[in-house]
Amino acid sequence: MSAPAASLSVDTTAPAIRVVGVTKVFGTVPVLRGISFDLERGKVLSIIGASGSGKSTLLRCLNYLERPTSGEIWIDGEQINPAQIARVRAEVGMVFQQFNLWPHMTVAQNVMEALLRVRKLPITEARARAEHYLAKVNMLEAGARYPAKLSGGQQQRVAIARALAMEPQIMLFDEATSSLDPELTSEVLDVMRGLATDGMTMVVVTHEMGFARDVSDRVMFLHQGVIEEDGAPALVFSHPASERCRQFLSKYLG
Amino acid sequence: MYGLTMFWDYRVILWHGLLINLLVFVLSSCLGLVVGMLACIGRLSHVRPLRAAAAFYIEVIRSAPELVLLFWIYSVVPVLLSEIAGSRLTFNPILSATLALGLVSSGYFAETFRAGIHAVPAGHVEAAHALGMSTPTILRRIVLPQAIRLMLPELMSQNIGLLKTTTLVSVITVPDIMYQINLIVQQEMRPLPLYTGTAAAFFLLILGLTSLVGRAGTRSREA
Amino acid sequence: MGFWTRTLLADAGPLWNGLYVTLSISVMAFVVAASVGLGICILRGYLPALRPIFAAYIAFCRNTPIFIQLLWVAYAWYDLLGWPKEVFTAAWVALALQSSGYLAETFRAGIDSVPLGHVEAALALGISRLSIWRRIILPQMLLTIAPSLMNQFIVIIKCSTLVSVIAVPDLMFQALRLTGIWGDPVPIMSFVAVIFIAVIMALSALSKHLADLTHARLQS
Repeated sequence: MSAPAASLSVDTTAPAIRVVGVTKVFGTVPVLRGISFDLERGKVLSIIGASGSGKSTLLRCLNYLERPTSGEIWIDGEQINPAQIARVRAEVGMVFQQFNLWPHMTVAQNVMEALLRVRKLPITEARARAEHYLAKVNMLEAGARYPAKLSGGQQQRVAIARALAMEPQIMLFDEATSSLDPELTSEVLDVMRGLATDGMTMVVVTHEMGFARDVSDRVMFLHQGVIEEDGAPALVFSHPASERCRQFLSKYLG
Repeated sequence: MYGLTMFWDYRVILWHGLLINLLVFVLSSCLGLVVGMLACIGRLSHVRPLRAAAAFYIEVIRSAPELVLLFWIYSVVPVLLSEIAGSRLTFNPILSATLALGLVSSGYFAETFRAGIHAVPAGHVEAAHALGMSTPTILRRIVLPQAIRLMLPELMSQNIGLLKTTTLVSVITVPDIMYQINLIVQQEMRPLPLYTGTAAAFFLLILGLTSLVGRAGTRSREA
Repeated sequence: MGFWTRTLLADAGPLWNGLYVTLSISVMAFVVAASVGLGICILRGYLPALRPIFAAYIAFCRNTPIFIQLLWVAYAWYDLLGWPKEVFTAAWVALALQSSGYLAETFRAGIDSVPLGHVEAALALGISRLSIWRRIILPQMLLTIAPSLMNQFIVIIKCSTLVSVIAVPDLMFQALRLTGIWGDPVPIMSFVAVIFIAVIMALSALSKHLADLTHARLQS
């Protein structure tokens, strides 16, 4: 179903994401201090760390919502060029902590908007694709409703469908469950788990240590804008090399 | 210099005109505050007909253009009163202007009072009730002190609006500053410097007052 | 009662024309003011260097009495520029001048009310800046400020009564003229007052209804 979109020339030998020496300074405050890593196609990377560690900023640099102060970002073997950023963004889906559904449009219209304006699909095709992805997140019956009438978990599932409908190569999740009530997080995490199983390349900024441990292929611990720990979840969670990571995990895992 | 010296030449009548504006402003503001407070009390009363009447009054008065009310009170009300009194009455223009602008502002003041009282959290009133305080005491000691602080900035800016509106009263022959300016324009045939100068003067006056009120507003919110 | 009927029948024509003039001037002024206000509001974001000029313009519009603005446009502008030649033009220009300052602020508040996240979500999908303005920011902003826009339109209608002073044949002008002809202000003035109050009450009811609708739609 999800045929890769033709608009980006995909170099299948290159890593899905390559980050080279990225720094970010807000005013005089350094938030990211030289981040470099590669992420292979089809892998799930979880980024963990205390608030203020720079993990959300790093995620937002990946699709240039935040422009790095220096360094390079490569997506599918192509270096991001700020002048043509929209083309890359169409291939990189993003899900936000606050859902950010557009309140003046129905659920279906939210999902169809970028299909019509960016993909330029005919309306019938856009509608069919929106329905397909809404069904995938179990929100098909809500198509005609407005976001304000939905629960947080439902809104977040619609937001995921909105990003998926673009059939992106990569999905970014920015604390997707952090503003949900505990009983609503599982419905969103289930959708994310399903995506990982389907082989989607994912970068997940999260406080859900269970998800990071069980679902991801790789876990990265950020501290004050530096990668302190990077490896397989089993390794990071059971034998963290850095003292800070150990302290951080002990707070979460008890 | 560009005809602006005319303002100096006519300073005495302009000054008298401005004093008339201030007189109308002060009188109608007082009238508006009193009538507005009465209307607000009626609007919040438990007596249903009183509440409906007050709501209707506020709605009508807020929907009436100032100029229409000015002309109506100046020309219609004395005729109606004459028929009742059986002898011919006329209204002094300043009295008419005061009545009209006072009524216009009473509608706005009433809504501001109501919003201020509503903005006091219900929990504060409940807490006072729980301590056994009487309703008038609660109103006097708990609700009003908070409400007044909340509505002061809005009342101030409405009063500035009222001061701006006093420039309309020349249409019912009140000899205010605009009345004098229009006379001078007819006499000197120099509308450009006279109207531009007047616009600039009012702009600076109102802007000054607005920023004063703005600063006072910030201070009362910080307090 | 006979008086009233006579008034309504004999003078329906001029009064009807007057109402038409009042509404056309108000609509014209509102459309121009909204366009200028929105233009200022958008340009202010893109041309930071001109911000003090826009701020001064807005302050002038908001802090000068409308009566002075009207006379200033009708006589001082004409003296200087030879324009506006017709009192009708002067009328809507002055009303638009006043309201454009207020509306620029209204639009700004409307734009500020759109959460940044809604724009970021659109950016993240690769939607272009122009589409974001047209499809995400403007519709949400218009929903939010619809009641304020309506209130400004009401303010324009109220202020439009002033144009009778520069001899524009609006409803107020007709009322004054007919009062002179009849020699009795009571029926005409009262009737015209009732028309104005009815029109404005209907518009504010509409504005309240709009506010309720938007509130239901946008609350989350």
